[in-house]
Amino acid sequence: MSTEHLYSRRDVPFDMMDIDLGTATDDELVEISRESGIALSLEEMHRVRDFFSAKGRNPTDVELQSIGQAWSEHCCYKSSKVFLKEYVFGINNPHVIDRGDAGVMEFDRDHAYALRIESHNHPSAVEPYGGAATGIGGIIRDVLCMGAQPIALVDPLYFGPLDLPFDRLPPGIKHPKYLFSGVVAGIRDYGNRVGLPTVSGGVWFDESYIGNCLVNVGCIGIAEKRNIRRNAVRGPGDVLVLVGGRTGRDGIHGVTFASAVLTKESETESRGAVQLGDPIMKEPVIHAVLEANEKGLVNGMKDLGGGGLSCVVGEIALSGGCGAEVDLSKVPLKEEGLAPWEIWVSESQERMMLSVSARNLDDVLHVFKVWDVPAISVGKVIPEKVVRLRFQGEKVFDLELDFLTAGPVYCRACGVEESKRARRERHPKAKPRYDKELLRLLATPDICNKEWIIRQYDHEVRASTVIKPLHGKLGHWSHGDAAVLKPIEDSFRGLAVATASNPHLVGADPYKGGKGCVDEVCRNLAAVGARPHSMTDCLNFGNPEKPDRLWYFREAVKGIGEVAEALNIPIPSGNVSFYNEAPGGAVLPTPTILGCGIVTDIRKCVTSDLKNDGGAIAVIGATRPEMGASAYYRMWKCHSPKVPDVDIASLRAGVDVVVGGIERGAIVSCHDISDGGLAVALAEMCIGGDTGAEIDLSKVGKLKNDQKLFSESNSRWVVELRKGKERLMPKDRRAPMVKLGTVGGDSLRVTSSGKTILDIHAEKLARSFGETLWRLV
Amino acid sequence: MKISKVKVCVLRIEGTNCEEESYLSFNRLGAKPEKVHLKQLTGTDVSPEERRSLSDYHVLMLPGGFSSGDYVRAGAIFAARLKSRLSSDLVDFVRAGKPVLGVCNGFQILVEMGLLPAMSGVMSDSPEAVLGTNDSGRFECRPTLLKKVNRGRCVFTTRIPDEKISVIPSAHAEGKLMFPIERRDRILKELYENDQVVFKYVDPEGNLAGYPWCPNGAADNIAGICNRDGNVFGLMPHPERVFFRHTHPDWTRSPDGAGDGRPVFESVLDYVSKKL
Repeated sequence: MSTEHLYSRRDVPFDMMDIDLGTATDDELVEISRESGIALSLEEMHRVRDFFSAKGRNPTDVELQSIGQAWSEHCCYKSSKVFLKEYVFGINNPHVIDRGDAGVMEFDRDHAYALRIESHNHPSAVEPYGGAATGIGGIIRDVLCMGAQPIALVDPLYFGPLDLPFDRLPPGIKHPKYLFSGVVAGIRDYGNRVGLPTVSGGVWFDESYIGNCLVNVGCIGIAEKRNIRRNAVRGPGDVLVLVGGRTGRDGIHGVTFASAVLTKESETESRGAVQLGDPIMKEPVIHAVLEANEKGLVNGMKDLGGGGLSCVVGEIALSGGCGAEVDLSKVPLKEEGLAPWEIWVSESQERMMLSVSARNLDDVLHVFKVWDVPAISVGKVIPEKVVRLRFQGEKVFDLELDFLTAGPVYCRACGVEESKRARRERHPKAKPRYDKELLRLLATPDICNKEWIIRQYDHEVRASTVIKPLHGKLGHWSHGDAAVLKPIEDSFRGLAVATASNPHLVGADPYKGGKGCVDEVCRNLAAVGARPHSMTDCLNFGNPEKPDRLWYFREAVKGIGEVAEALNIPIPSGNVSFYNEAPGGAVLPTPTILGCGIVTDIRKCVTSDLKNDGGAIAVIGATRPEMGASAYYRMWKCHSPKVPDVDIASLRAGVDVVVGGIERGAIVSCHDISDGGLAVALAEMCIGGDTGAEIDLSKVGKLKNDQKLFSESNSRWVVELRKGKERLMPKDRRAPMVKLGTVGGDSLRVTSSGKTILDIHAEKLARSFGETLWRLV
Repeated sequence: MKISKVKVCVLRIEGTNCEEESYLSFNRLGAKPEKVHLKQLTGTDVSPEERRSLSDYHVLMLPGGFSSGDYVRAGAIFAARLKSRLSSDLVDFVRAGKPVLGVCNGFQILVEMGLLPAMSGVMSDSPEAVLGTNDSGRFECRPTLLKKVNRGRCVFTTRIPDEKISVIPSAHAEGKLMFPIERRDRILKELYENDQVVFKYVDPEGNLAGYPWCPNGAADNIAGICNRDGNVFGLMPHPERVFFRHTHPDWTRSPDGAGDGRPVFESVLDYVSKKL
């Protein structure tokens, strides 16, 4: 179909079109949306057409492009908002300071911390190195624009199996090993260069991620409260200063690319949507922005992410109750000849918008000059809520912000095909050989030692990582549950950071899975001695226009919201990533939760490695026969509908018992029980401590041995108690503590009802646990 | 002079990223550190109030990071900028006996500038060594154990007992100390004779060991060296990251005592307060 007759080129020395929507047929409207890459539906195109008809003129390409960005799923959350409002947005407490590009929470009397997590899935599926790197760049700016010094990064990742045979690779899809290596390298090279420690994360593998890997990136920042800024202008008289990288054709249509399903043509069609990262521009940008802000020269700021200038100008102005006039000719470019619409929507990296009082402009520009960072005043704030753009003297854009930012909100159909839900129950039949099974579990890619990845990230630059991602005796490393940062020089107060995700459980039961994710993040935080304080979530799901996919989303959000609300843990920021599907189908529904906790004194923190010969080992929390979606059942390709549920009272009690025990010095080692159950938790604690343990499971309850060893019931921890201090342990019958045995010997030896069911040398455990990634990559 | 009068220049450009913890390490001991951008020393783009002179300081510290991205050989760009603009200031600084510390990227910069190993004179015209890509071929962040082998020349390790094994972590991609093949043995011999070798990577028993205890494959497991006068010192591992016990990698197993990196800063302040 030709729509050529609807475009008229304006007589100016650059590329610019007026587009005749008024006389266009419905088919032509759809075609215009498609060919301009804005991905608006017919219904949305009608709204745009009617708006301009009422104005009595046609939109320019700059305006149409801008609306496409602002109304994309990525920018306006049109499919998810209704559920987020219902279940999550209402959770509030006095510690919440702001909900901007990043959430801001109170840390202590004078300080606040900022947190945010988001996805960079589609760019990473097409160009893993650049996609992952710019994902980090973007999340750092989200924290920075609140006025906070970024202090840590978090990277949960999801890929197809690393050993996928090449003949099973769908057309146009890159091999998981290529994606995995590229993403890890991208995070490493950007995060390390920019000087931020990567302290937490995780890697999950499943066939559903083959066509659409998930790369989530989180960032934490710290600031004195007086330096916290809103993402808003102060008012008319403010000047808009664009700082950082130059603008180019990289990253055009990133948000619309993120709001559509990947296809086998994505590589060729959407390569240009992936931005190029430059950490050595970002690093001085951080210094200069913080320096200008701390000098009191900045009224408000916002980062240029999805939608580029087109989103930031309108949003920062409107948040301050104003509008803006911008001269696009002033924007520093990477190359000549960009059309105004390209400048307006480009997502080129390392850029921020500062709103400053006119009298402070020169001082601000000077700070950036010393750091060799481009900074230029591109416009001014005006009282009317409109945005007007000029380019080389020509007016190219004039839109009311009420219209531009009033993206549609949908309450899309939600349902689930029962046939998909009801799976036949199947339990392991073979005669159990727990030694072999535990070793196999330890070697599975989801559970195995991630040292190969973790050590490529600098996890202690800034020298404030008190509890690091790997725990253990020197040379013997196992996983910790949460990292702890000591962000303030003259205070021992700590900020704990943990990641939780369980896509298999969410896939089996999204409501219980959502609850389980919050339980896990609380367990992780408590395990180092931190009280859960806030969360930020990245919700990765399939195409929301398909009712069954949206059902998973709604149920998961409901589960997350329910536990968070009961524990009064606010979620002051987050991100939704839909359309995570390729021709092979949707990814497992994957909510990722980044949790922050407060440690009152970091000198009390504990790690997961067993410490002292003869120390008593106990389990806190009740074990139930909940084998559904467990790593053990998945290994056997078995299925049970009994998936772990969360008992909120038990979770709350468990956190109190564990954190209380750590604060009182009664606990010297602690590990949460998650993937692989009690057996894997014990094995990891032995590996880190380079020791064995004598364990008796007789008192764990009336359960079968495989349930005792491998059930993944929530709200449980394994602890090692300090000799002579055991009586200091808090007691709560909702989180019962059962003694299991003692630290010592060379082997993890487990008995139940007088029979030895497991006996493995610690070195053998370590070998199985440690080799997988070295072998697969 | 009093320690409270000791001015430390923590020098940075874009991509330097360990300046904060380096600054704090001196600050905690009562000295007067300052984070100084290279342009403040060269006078480019800065206001008169921001202008600084290297001679105003008593200690120069080059912190870790990825200066200017390290997209060419690590440290090469920072070294070239320093050498082209401040060569004589640097030589005067070292000649005056003032200490210079380079950690990680800072060590790479000192070697690129020719301030280390400086086999003859204060600063060689071209580099006499290189910190090459790790044998593992990639960046690694891991705890390393360093044995002090210096016999007293180095002014940064006087407070560390001989043969003591310190936990000082490494985080680098290019830390393999290498010398020109044909001169390697002679240079090593001279380094030992001049007491220029300061730290060696060892295993928990104190023996020279291979990967991962030696994280990069450096010649003779050497982690750090000083110049012949002992006042210029470079090392790959990061003492500023273990100023306190609670940032040691395994501190929860033995929580008492100071951090193993702290004596490096104490030693140099000792030296300055006695000698300058």
